[in-house]
Amino acid sequence: MASISGADVKHIVVACEAGMGSSVMVARMLAKQLKANGVEVTHSPVNQLADTTHDVVLVHRGLSQRAKQAVPDSLVIIFDMFLGDMRIAQLVNEIQEGHEISDD
Amino acid sequence: MANFIPAGDGGHTGWRAAAQKIGGNLAGMVIPNIGAFIAWGLLTALFIPTGWLPNEELGSMVGPMIVNLLPILIGYTGGRMVHGQRGAVIGAVATVGVIVGASIPMFLGAMLIGPLAAWILKKIDAVLDPVTPPGFEMLIGNFSLGISGLLMAILGFLGIGPVVNAFSDTLGAGVKALVDTGLLPLASILIEPAKILFLNNAINYGVLAPLGVAQVEEAGKSIMFMLESNPGPGLGILVAVWLAAGSKVLRGSAPGAIVIHFLGGIHEIYFPYVLMKPILVLAAIAGGATGVATFLVTGVGVVATPAPGSIFAYLAVTPPGNHFGVLLGILLSATVSFLVAFVILKASKDGDDDLEAAKAKSKAMKTGGAE
Repeated sequence: MASISGADVKHIVVACEAGMGSSVMVARMLAKQLKANGVEVTHSPVNQLADTTHDVVLVHRGLSQRAKQAVPDSLVIIFDMFLGDMRIAQLVNEIQEGHEISDD
Repeated sequence: MANFIPAGDGGHTGWRAAAQKIGGNLAGMVIPNIGAFIAWGLLTALFIPTGWLPNEELGSMVGPMIVNLLPILIGYTGGRMVHGQRGAVIGAVATVGVIVGASIPMFLGAMLIGPLAAWILKKIDAVLDPVTPPGFEMLIGNFSLGISGLLMAILGFLGIGPVVNAFSDTLGAGVKALVDTGLLPLASILIEPAKILFLNNAINYGVLAPLGVAQVEEAGKSIMFMLESNPGPGLGILVAVWLAAGSKVLRGSAPGAIVIHFLGGIHEIYFPYVLMKPILVLAAIAGGATGVATFLVTGVGVVATPAPGSIFAYLAVTPPGNHFGVLLGILLSATVSFLVAFVILKASKDGDDDLEAAKAKSKAMKTGGAE
């Protein structure tokens, strides 16, 4: 269980299988929402997560185990839906309000 | 049934994560090079004798690209995944060995020897680096790569090329038998559930694309590219969710998902809807099999893997005279998967469909499941 204060989040990386498809889409939507908070959102293939700079890793449940293997010490947030996901909405809120973020 | 396998680090890892990892590595060697595959596919569609603009001179590029360029790119990328730029270079060098040692396009061989050569160089570097005197880094680095690259190319030529050649022949014969006997639609029974488990890239780029490329070389088109990438089944499911899902939240997100899936080609977007209601995979299987059967009956194929699996990518890689069958197959697969999904969603509408129940279900399907 890792956690970080929402105010300290500067880099989020969204991971997917190839790092070229769904993660790019989610990263762009998230970047738009967090633009005002100075958060950089990037994307990566799940097996190259270890090479990325990140405070928070965001990954779909289907790939979550591989994400945790790739970066066991990182804060990994798992989402279920590519559009309208509750956990992503919560993450945005936690960052904007500076609340504590922890993985589940 | 054992649903996890022991991992080297003493823990255990879900079979699904393991399969994703292997498949992901295979796909990781192909996906960055898809642009080159498309260049080759379009070149083929345009200039071969049965193409849009038959041209013998320009068509002469088709062979060298498929036999040499594409496997070398794969070996290069596979080497880079293991050991950076030096791994990439030795991967490319070693791949030439398997290319010349075999008579067919050597994708599988490149996927083996590229990472293997890079891994060996990594071990060699680990030994040499600490003992290299200052000022000799470049000399030793260049010659350690050059000499081990030469040896790996010879190994590929003599050892791996012929073995993979035989293996590919067997695999190709198996696929041909499936096509000839009309059993190919049954492949959807495996492919559609595997897609939902995020094995989509592994299947499409790791297994089907190399088979397809070999067929394009012979026949100018292949159905292999269409088995996994057909956007029809996902479209049908998403439309059914839009019209019939119990939860308002799900219904509301469906139209956006339809655009991203069908036009943008990001299939991952519909997987969560199926994971929430796993029985929907029946709709995907029915739709997928319908599509494959239609492609088979109308005798169509495409010239390169439509990546991403968007309707636009499909139109771009469909060779002359194949548009009717390709579009019909996509349309029928969407229709069938829609009907099945619609019935399933309607039948199960009462009660259990609130988001929390669905989420719990999806959690139960969590990766690995070995907790």
